[in-house]
Amino acid sequence: MADSLDVGEPAARVTLPALFVTFLTISMCGFGGPIVWARRFLVERRGWLDDQAFAEMLSLCQFLPGPNVVCITVCVGSKFRGPAGALTAAAGFILIPWTVGFALGSLFLHYTEIALMQNMMRGVSAVGAGLIIATGIRLLRPHRSRKAALLFAGAAFVGLAFASLPLLPLVLILVPLSIAGAYFERPIAG
Amino acid sequence: MNPPGASATLVAHLIVLSMISFGGIPSMLPDLHDYLVTGKGWITDQDFANCFAVVQAIPGPNMILMMSFVGWKIGGLPVAIASAFATFAPPCAIAYVVFRWWERFHDASWQGPVRRGLAPVTIGLVIAGGYVMARASDVGWASVAMTVAAAALLLLTRVNPLWMLGVGAALGGFGLL
Repeated sequence: MADSLDVGEPAARVTLPALFVTFLTISMCGFGGPIVWARRFLVERRGWLDDQAFAEMLSLCQFLPGPNVVCITVCVGSKFRGPAGALTAAAGFILIPWTVGFALGSLFLHYTEIALMQNMMRGVSAVGAGLIIATGIRLLRPHRSRKAALLFAGAAFVGLAFASLPLLPLVLILVPLSIAGAYFERPIAG
Repeated sequence: MNPPGASATLVAHLIVLSMISFGGIPSMLPDLHDYLVTGKGWITDQDFANCFAVVQAIPGPNMILMMSFVGWKIGGLPVAIASAFATFAPPCAIAYVVFRWWERFHDASWQGPVRRGLAPVTIGLVIAGGYVMARASDVGWASVAMTVAAAALLLLTRVNPLWMLGVGAALGGFGLL
């Protein structure tokens, strides 16, 4: 498998074809939350980023407009292969998956009333939700020794999940506090 | 039939929305719904909801696809393709420029706390997103068990998540959830 060839510095093995194929795969797997698949391939399978770098890129992308994973695609491509990398990765993520998805979806649009479809979609979303939660827990691991990080991750979770606060004010309040917390804590190793 | 200018107006509106869609494309949906369904009446409420439901069940870039289906309903295939570009091209350009700038200052002293401070909030929001999705699809103990099992399997084993999603679809399809 191509995975076993992944040794050495990421910069050397992140070629344009590898970018295209990896983001094509992430996109085609993208049921139940593309973040799950982006982390699985970029961190676990390919080893191009570690959990911390991935979480940082994701948080940058959440502050930019547009689909978060498309933003990650552009950032990873640009990081390793410049403008050509960004274009290649975005093309891999969008071209073929869009075509396949459009064909499938226009078929499905005729059958949205069918109960079987709705039941299957319910099963997929129950599993998808679990995958997203687990991915979040994985991303939190590099921060688990930082009290401030756990506090603000918990506050963001409670604010959105239980208090149902609107996203923008929640973020505008928590982010400056969390950055201040990180500024005043003792520097961590690594 | 929709007026001749409808397609161009839709694409122009999507370009503006995609450039301000902080927090991801879902944040565009309320505005787009008001504009197209309530304001212009170019697409029905039911069609809009169906476009959203369908893209949850297919692979690929869902939200780009959703905008394409909206465009398709309004002006056919050319508008579907134009809507896709309107949805991803402006954010891609912005992401490229901002990321270059972000990397240039990677070693600046202010960036350490900013990066360590941003990440936990983001992660909390990701987990909350999963929780909200779980609650939306929760129709009893069986679906809660599916969610918990999927999370545990992803954390503790190397099982491919596609199998889990397949099992979820099958159990759902058989009416067990």
